[in-house]
Amino acid sequence: MSESLKLSLDRRDGLAIVYTDGYINNQGGEEIARVAYELIDEGYKKLLLNLQGTKIVNSIGISILIEIIEKMIEIDGSLAFCYLTPTIHKTFHIMGLAQYAGIHEDEPTAIRALTAEA
Amino acid sequence: MTRLLDSHCRDATAWRALLGAGRRAGDLRLALTERLAAWVADRGLPAAALYAVTDGVAQRVAATGASFPERFGRDEQVPGATIFALPAVRLVVQGALPDAESPETWLLAAGVRIHQLERQLEEQHFQARFRGVELEALYDVGLAIASTLDLESLGEEVLLRAVSLLDARCGALYLLEDGRYRLLRHLGGGEAEQAFDRDDARIQDLLARRPDCRRSPLADVAHLLAVPVEIEGQPRGLLLVADKESRRGVGPFAADDRRTLSLFANQAAIALENAKLHRLALEKERLEREMELAAEIQQRLLPKAMPTVPCFDVAGWNRPARQVGGDYYDLRQLGDHRWTLVVGDVTGKGMPAALLVSTLRTALRLLGDRMAIGPELGEQLSKHIFDSSSSNKFITMILGELDDNTGVVRYLNAGHNPGVLVRAAGDVETLASGGMPLGLLPGARFADASVRLEAGDLLCFYSDGITEAADASGDELGLDRLSDLLVASRARPLPEVMHAIDDAVSVFSQGLPQGDDQTVVLVRRRSA
Repeated sequence: MSESLKLSLDRRDGLAIVYTDGYINNQGGEEIARVAYELIDEGYKKLLLNLQGTKIVNSIGISILIEIIEKMIEIDGSLAFCYLTPTIHKTFHIMGLAQYAGIHEDEPTAIRALTAEA
Repeated sequence: MTRLLDSHCRDATAWRALLGAGRRAGDLRLALTERLAAWVADRGLPAAALYAVTDGVAQRVAATGASFPERFGRDEQVPGATIFALPAVRLVVQGALPDAESPETWLLAAGVRIHQLERQLEEQHFQARFRGVELEALYDVGLAIASTLDLESLGEEVLLRAVSLLDARCGALYLLEDGRYRLLRHLGGGEAEQAFDRDDARIQDLLARRPDCRRSPLADVAHLLAVPVEIEGQPRGLLLVADKESRRGVGPFAADDRRTLSLFANQAAIALENAKLHRLALEKERLEREMELAAEIQQRLLPKAMPTVPCFDVAGWNRPARQVGGDYYDLRQLGDHRWTLVVGDVTGKGMPAALLVSTLRTALRLLGDRMAIGPELGEQLSKHIFDSSSSNKFITMILGELDDNTGVVRYLNAGHNPGVLVRAAGDVETLASGGMPLGLLPGARFADASVRLEAGDLLCFYSDGITEAADASGDELGLDRLSDLLVASRARPLPEVMHAIDDAVSVFSQGLPQGDDQTVVLVRRRSA
């Protein structure tokens, strides 16, 4: 597994999807935050993080994701995750991310949930 | 506190709201920034900043203007500014400040302390929840160990958990095999050495409290933590993580981290042991299946019953040492009045020996049926075995061709135990070797010989499992004892002679486990 997290984007109508590939650590988390805040500045209020390419997230990465969630809440936006590994899924539940962000099995389900929100 | 705010602050209402319940994270920082800006404006100062001090490092909380550093250390100065030290707070001001300790200043400091304490509480709450993640991780790894024996995936599971829980930037799991630590899994970071010796001088240093990262098997790391993977005190591997992350960069691992990593190393050790035992069990099962199959093959190769030879009594008997042996015997008709009898002994045991026995049997039937016993037959058989087997496999064999009319036995002994011929009067002759074992060397030469059986003469072909049966002191039964037994029982029915040989071997070996296959073929010319 490479050290640096790689990201790719898919901008859709009112919704942006960020695909992660690699370790969400300090460096990876900062990169996700940078992209997320840029998207927010562009006016996106619905953000989906597709973690299919990520097997590992550490506590620094989690704390940065929490900050992104808080920022989305501030702007009355929504953040969701999909394709979490069972380990990451459980970690997000324990750490409370599931209370403030949607967690979905796959991308279509996540998109439907996000677009159904007002 | 509220009366203090009312008497000394211009915007007490805002302060009360901000200190009350229901405000969100970040609001206090915003309020501090606004209050600081008002404070600066009131005093006609260019700019100021508020810092919260933790572990000797001052971290910026609020500032007016962009010229203040994000953080500074205990003994550092901020260029062009004056630092006022308040308890756990620093007020950094550009320009002169006549009333550094005014009530308004103290209130700002109190706001910074509240912000700092809230952040610390959030961090502690976060860490407490993360401890739950650690416990769940250990539980999950335990479940994974119980549900799979795939060492690769278990190794990855252990390493993923260890690296993420310790906030490491990278990690590696090495397993000790054949005297070398070999890389099983590597995550993150730069290159990792694929293998290094068990006795590598770096290992003790790696396990020390502050290992020298320049000698690390993980390249380009500044902080390393390594623990052994052990089973009952014996090393089985190494688990390493490097470069503990924080928001400020990377740093050394804490004492608790060694404990956590050791817990995962213990899990890895259990997984290794389970995988090894499973592998051994699978191998044992495979070998048992192979032995069963080889035994089946071998049983099919041996005669199911001895034929009836006019004017001769014949008997044959074989008992393998283990499930499958390397001994072979046969007695069958070649043509009118011609019979072939053979005892062979293949090197090795198990399936390879069974397959070579099969090769011998086929060669005897193909070549022996067309060629008379003689040097050429021996050479052809030896060449066939040499070409068909691996370099360390060969066959000893004594092969005879009996004419039931004349009683003449032409024989060829390829490195086998000498046959024993007991005359009716009790004299003993041996049918010695006429060549080396089949398949031992290419181009081997052989010589044949013949004897004539008269009425009452008893011929015995046997394998070395009979004469080399040993007692507890290592003494062997030997050719002499066998010959004496044959002389004593030469007139008895052949089944009784077989029993006598079997009993003699059992008694002599004093119940010790059978060390080699045992085979006997007996041929006696009946009295007229």
